[in-house]
Amino acid sequence: MGGCACATLLPSTLFLGMSDARAIEAADKLDLPAKMRLADMALNVAKAQGASYADFRLCRYQTEYLEAKEHRLQTSATGTSVGFAVRVLVDGTWGYASSPLATEVEVKKATAHAIEVAKASQPLQLRKFELETLTSYQDRWDMPMKNDPFLVPVDEKIDKLLSINEAAMKAGADYATASFAFVREEKFFASSVGSRIQQTRVRTMPETEVTVVDKATGKFASRAGLCAPRGSGYDYILGYNFLAEAAKSAEQAREKLKAKSIAPGQYDLVLDPTHLWLTIHESVGHPTELDRALGWEANFAGTTFCTPDKLGKLKYGSHLMNIVADRSQEGGLSTVGYDDDGVSWIGNEGFPIVKDGLFVNYQMAIGQAQLIGQKTSNGCAFADGWGSFPIQRMPNVSLQPNPKKCSLEDLFADVKHGIYIMGNGSWSIDQQRHNFQFGGQLFYEIKNGKLGGMLRDVAYQGSTVEFWNAMDGLGDQSTYFLGGAPNCGKGQPEQVAPVSHGAVPARFRQINVLNTERKDVA
Amino acid sequence: MILSEAEARDLTKRILRLSQAESCTVSVSGEERRHVRVAQNMATTNGSPSSISISVTSNYGKKSGSASGSDLSDDALAELVTASENTAKLAPENPEFMPPLGPQKYAPGAGFSPVTQATTSSQLASALQPVLQQAQAKNLQASGFLEIGTSFSCIATSNGLFAYDQSTDVLHTITARTPDGTGSGWAGTTHHDFSKLDVPAMGATAMDKAVKSQKPTRLAPGKYTVILEPSAVADLVGILIGGEFDQRAADEGRSFATKKGGGSLLGETVFGKNVTIFSDPADAVVPGGIYSDDGQPAVRTAWIEDGVLKNLQCGRYWAQKTKKQPVPGPTTLTMVGGTTSTADMIKQTKKGLLITRFWYIREVDPQTVLLTGLTRDGVFLIEHGEITQPVWNFRFNESPVAMLNKVIAMGPSVRAYGDESGGMPLSVPTLLVDEFTLSSVSDAV
Repeated sequence: MGGCACATLLPSTLFLGMSDARAIEAADKLDLPAKMRLADMALNVAKAQGASYADFRLCRYQTEYLEAKEHRLQTSATGTSVGFAVRVLVDGTWGYASSPLATEVEVKKATAHAIEVAKASQPLQLRKFELETLTSYQDRWDMPMKNDPFLVPVDEKIDKLLSINEAAMKAGADYATASFAFVREEKFFASSVGSRIQQTRVRTMPETEVTVVDKATGKFASRAGLCAPRGSGYDYILGYNFLAEAAKSAEQAREKLKAKSIAPGQYDLVLDPTHLWLTIHESVGHPTELDRALGWEANFAGTTFCTPDKLGKLKYGSHLMNIVADRSQEGGLSTVGYDDDGVSWIGNEGFPIVKDGLFVNYQMAIGQAQLIGQKTSNGCAFADGWGSFPIQRMPNVSLQPNPKKCSLEDLFADVKHGIYIMGNGSWSIDQQRHNFQFGGQLFYEIKNGKLGGMLRDVAYQGSTVEFWNAMDGLGDQSTYFLGGAPNCGKGQPEQVAPVSHGAVPARFRQINVLNTERKDVA
Repeated sequence: MILSEAEARDLTKRILRLSQAESCTVSVSGEERRHVRVAQNMATTNGSPSSISISVTSNYGKKSGSASGSDLSDDALAELVTASENTAKLAPENPEFMPPLGPQKYAPGAGFSPVTQATTSSQLASALQPVLQQAQAKNLQASGFLEIGTSFSCIATSNGLFAYDQSTDVLHTITARTPDGTGSGWAGTTHHDFSKLDVPAMGATAMDKAVKSQKPTRLAPGKYTVILEPSAVADLVGILIGGEFDQRAADEGRSFATKKGGGSLLGETVFGKNVTIFSDPADAVVPGGIYSDDGQPAVRTAWIEDGVLKNLQCGRYWAQKTKKQPVPGPTTLTMVGGTTSTADMIKQTKKGLLITRFWYIREVDPQTVLLTGLTRDGVFLIEHGEITQPVWNFRFNESPVAMLNKVIAMGPSVRAYGDESGGMPLSVPTLLVDEFTLSSVSDAV
């Protein structure tokens, strides 16, 4: 599905275009001096042909995808993708080209091609792109990790998946799906300002879902797992109790079939962090992207209500609302040592986007800050493959915990008539990030401060600023959860980015809830 | 990177000769693309990526494994085959395994244009330049994307199947906005032939809508008679047929097409009698790929005929188990249109809305295919047969199953593109639909 600010999770999105095995072999054999030579060649050719700035990214992606359906292994696939891209800025116009062959001939060819694209586009360059003064780095950064998922025997991973489905089926599921996807991303970055950076990171992405069917009524219900994708190793898989969740999921899916259908109206909501991370992504992460504010995504992902005149002035949410962007966060899908513009996150503990309810910062890539009177990028560039142009993408954007002690039960205690929502169902938000609608995996009634029975057919709608200003309760550090998506969509051609969002449970007053049951179909 | 049919055939033969497995399937695909991207009346990111890929699936009995890479050298191909064989050997048996297909007959592909293949970055920029200049002159902000691509794919099996398809594609979308931020218009389409693309006309449409949609009025949400332009219809129809028409899901009780008490609704009248949707890879307006999934020929398939649910996608395993014929998924879709012009639809509407397109569509309830999403880039109020004013955007909560039971009139079927329904070529009409559910107002422009 295209055009989506957070794409649906499809296995195909996890696998980039598989590249030439010769290139893989060649890249595997490339030592750092060889990479440096290729980079120098690209950057020198670019400079000789008129580029005022150029960068060279040589990347290797290793992937594995395993999927089990009920008691059978449906897919076992591995892949490796290697290639490079050259990006040039010629007389204020960008151009780029890429190739899967990391050879001298191809590097020269691709660099000339990038120059040709930039020059061809110059008649459309109403205003020249200008870059801030960029800092040069020579460094290597490797994501800390305990167990490399690519070193875990494949049969061990398959057994794990089949055991998850077995647990679900034993507990009453009619259908069960479990999958593991792993990605190792290795990047070498060189730029015309002198940077030479190597970095490696790994993503581990489990997914589970069970479905139950009531043939008599023709109704069915599903329950997706609450386990989030992470920038972690296989230790993350080992540390999560999939079997217990699978069994519980089957019971809860069955319970959904008999749950009370919600009466539409205004409710107080307590949103679990397994749910709230996505609301943060859509209603805070995307609106505060500077390229949207500048109109650069107007034709696809959209613009934003957070226009530059609101910076430092907009009361985004209640005083409890503190949102931080951090690409150094442990386990974060967006965590890096350096972004794809070569901007450093080493020793950087992040920056606030919303501070005590006030909108205070945008996310930026290079060439943007000066357009709103600021000096430099804050390191939010990402390219989803070696063949993609780095654009502004989301860092890990997280809701900070309440510094005062507050448990989930404390949040329930002050609710007379409300709903507690866990997990993600459907999600949708308009192109300027005002109007949203979210579903969930599990809904429970809150009555007079106590958690009640399960509800179904629940979705809530809201408008971003009004919603966040309706927040009056926030969990403390002990309730923190790191959610995330491996496939946030943006850009043309569309790119998918992995990003995490930390959250704590939060309480929102008097939110519009609708009943999603349709009685006029089937 | 593009391989000719002869090169692709030779490559797959070399790979299959290396296979030690009981059976083997090889897929190869590649593409060469160029694009120009603009925003605020100027170029932003412009590029030209290319790629090639080889996937090998090896089977031992009912054990399967895949490995991907690409190289034409014998050594690298041998490594790839060995990797897939090692993966297969470690896999447990899949009781639903189906052996690779043998030789099939394929119709020739109809979606290749040498004009598109030869188009340069300069030509793309030249096509867009007059539109950006016009936008500038009209004090509008134009943003857009113009991309061309040439791609090939082939599949070969150890049982003698070989299929090769080469095609070209063009995608152009353009958005125009008023500087005060209250008006936005859009146009977009796909084609396989760049010379058939009317870039100036699309730019004019986007600019006209931007001007006409500015300073909208707020209208209460509710059930409205709506005129859905082709992009909006393409999204809803594409999501319904491409994502929900599955025989196994229906038989297993987890689909809108499940019959109460068991079985599917196949053969029953599920939609309005004026609804017919089919796929035909040889269609002149929307040619599609010549093969689907595991090498089954893509053939003309009726999905809905006069409101009757005629076919659901059915994989080879499920077909064998249920004693049905396999039904490959569509590579193109056509909804048969009517003869009512949009102007006539407006004339016959007492109170309704003209909707340009949709955005961010997600499924709320798979049981009823209830979808939610938003209108975007132009919604206009119709009163007593005339467009009277622009209105704010809406969030909708509607099921395409329900919608296709409420179609009052249809325009001619035309090639259309929706951001939300993926890249499948679609031809759909403008629809006049009764009681479309718009559940809240959006402040977005």
